[in-house]
Amino acid sequence: MADQAGAQNTAPSPRTAVVIGGNRIPFARSSGAYAYSSNKDMLIAALDGLVARFGLQGERIGEVAAGAVLKHSRDFNLTREAVLGSALSPETPAYDLQQACATGLETVVGLSNKIKLGQIESGIAGGVDSASDAPIVVSEGLRRVLLDLSRARTTQQKIKALSALRPKDLSPNAPTTGEPRTGLSMGEHQALTTAAWDISREAQDELAYRSHRNLAAAYERGFFSDLMTPYRGLTRDANLRADTSLEKLATLKPVFGKGLDTPATMTAGNSTPLTDGAALVLLGSEEYATANNLPMLANIVDAEAAAVDFVHGEEGLLMGGVHAVPRLLERNGLTFDDFDFFEIHEAFAATVLSALAAWEDPDYCKRVLGLDGALGSIDRSKLNVNGSSLAAGHPFAATGGRIVASLAKTLSEQGGRGLISICAAGGQGVVAILEARN
Amino acid sequence: MSGIPGDTVLPALPGLPALYRRAVTLAAQRAMGRGAAPSGLPAARHRVDGIRTDLAALTRFQQLLGSAARDQLPSAYLHTLAFPVAMSVLTRPDFPLPLLGMVHLSNEVHQDRQVSAFEPLDVVAYAENLRPHAAGTQLDVVTEVGAGDERVWTGRSVYLARGVRLDPAAPAERREDRPPFAAPAPTGVWKLDGGIGRRYAAVSGDWNPIHLSGPTAKALGRKAAIAHGMYLAARMVDQAVAAPSGALDWRIDFAAPVLLPGVVTTSFSRTPGGGGRIDAVGWSAKRRRPHFTGWVRAD
Repeated sequence: MADQAGAQNTAPSPRTAVVIGGNRIPFARSSGAYAYSSNKDMLIAALDGLVARFGLQGERIGEVAAGAVLKHSRDFNLTREAVLGSALSPETPAYDLQQACATGLETVVGLSNKIKLGQIESGIAGGVDSASDAPIVVSEGLRRVLLDLSRARTTQQKIKALSALRPKDLSPNAPTTGEPRTGLSMGEHQALTTAAWDISREAQDELAYRSHRNLAAAYERGFFSDLMTPYRGLTRDANLRADTSLEKLATLKPVFGKGLDTPATMTAGNSTPLTDGAALVLLGSEEYATANNLPMLANIVDAEAAAVDFVHGEEGLLMGGVHAVPRLLERNGLTFDDFDFFEIHEAFAATVLSALAAWEDPDYCKRVLGLDGALGSIDRSKLNVNGSSLAAGHPFAATGGRIVASLAKTLSEQGGRGLISICAAGGQGVVAILEARN
Repeated sequence: MSGIPGDTVLPALPGLPALYRRAVTLAAQRAMGRGAAPSGLPAARHRVDGIRTDLAALTRFQQLLGSAARDQLPSAYLHTLAFPVAMSVLTRPDFPLPLLGMVHLSNEVHQDRQVSAFEPLDVVAYAENLRPHAAGTQLDVVTEVGAGDERVWTGRSVYLARGVRLDPAAPAERREDRPPFAAPAPTGVWKLDGGIGRRYAAVSGDWNPIHLSGPTAKALGRKAAIAHGMYLAARMVDQAVAAPSGALDWRIDFAAPVLLPGVVTTSFSRTPGGGGRIDAVGWSAKRRRPHFTGWVRAD
């Protein structure tokens, strides 16, 4: 089962992959400023800003990797199309990747591995998502009729195919955040985990409050000035409530977990809203950065993905990162004490708090994670220091790029080592270690 | 699978609509005092050989259940395939209980190995174990599916004829006190719309009117259309073990019927120390009543 347990990474790291910089557009609330912008529009907007910031006009980048979770079928080659719509050399190859909310981080992992292996010198990684411009598909009934119609040869066959059409087939289907295998929405899944770990409403509101406070403070001191390009009139994340308070958060009504025996604690304030936006990271080898006189913010050290069995109730849907982190730490011979910054994606405040509680629980860590005891506690002052998804919003595939760029910049300013953990649909989680260069 | 001398060999799978019509006719005749119900089960075993799987029908069944459309037959699909043969036993003139209104209590299946969609299959069905139940009379309907010389699948369905007494003079069985239902931690939810009964009927061939619509169900004394028990069973088995490769055992016990449209909250969990057994429960969170309990074990 634990195929990598105990297998400390002794192979020499081939090369170093570094984060050179990042760029994103401010995140908008769904049906807000970007209501009519497509995934391609937003990805190009983020790419334009990155190209301008680092002087990449006409340059052939080693590879661009990005993705979107909610994707139109016409966008099958979304990232390559965005490259062709940008000022990058049209000879820049690109590919799409999708790993739900971990998409952005996984593109960083994939391209940094290519850089480490010497397959490419530079890469642009990230993602985009629009909850406003979501793909709406025709009903299964209409789809079948249309496909059968296209296969029909004779008039008789065509009439037969059309006769299968029912009035209700004409209503379209919008995408949902439901897990296909359980039928529960992500919020309802988290509500089960929230109840299992007995996470209080107050603790969730407190975490949401700190997220807004930290993000607002980061804006105030100009932290995002070289990480963001304004778009469609937005210069800040539209979801940010700099003036929110614990009292205001306490007035919101619970929206998830209302059918459970335990009190419902998850509100619109301590859950991330549906959001639109795009985020990208520029990666390179040390040689590439030096040759092009580009900054090197942080090294990408290592990464790990995990998945859990939520279908049979063995684990919570959003606990994938909880399993990936101890495996990553062991391979790198590190403990929580070796980290100065923790970026745990705030899908819901309770997702972060459940992870923290799990890592502090010796019984759980022994029984479920196979450790000798508790993995450890995380100092809250090191957690999501520039705010996270509760305040900024969470355009699914864009979150990885946002976090990697912010953490890399923080490490370049303050030194040290940072841990990223992002949970994803399907019971998955991707985690990574970034390190300052000095 | 070799037959037994005396098996009633049917030329092909009987059509279920014709069997339901025969059941209605039988019920009418008995109501009018003609063809009085016999007191014992017929010893007959009905048999159909060389059944071939219709791949298009199989695909529709698999996709409706959300299981992968493999070239391997879902365990519940074998029940569906064999069901018309079982129905032909229950609609014999010498079958003692009224088919319409019989309640499906449970299913237990032992499958020896996975079955390919390209194997010709033989089906045998018979009824046995007529016995009293607190609410009437129950019996087992056994179906066996064979491929070549081996038996590959055996299912035992328990049905209840409510209010029918084998020996009217005998005192009614005491109803066992059931412990109050304690819902486990949920792991999922099945949202069933009003059309699921018709769609499952279309892929399974089981057009029993109680599953099709409110009016047809009310005509047979139900409050509303109810979900097919085998639909629940098929989803339970598929969700518990997504990719069975060898032997498979499962059981489902039906409790309160699922009224359509309706929401079934589900719980799947690995039985502690159960050797890979998955326990499943489906219930109504609103009414706090179980719809089914069951388990699935794969080797």
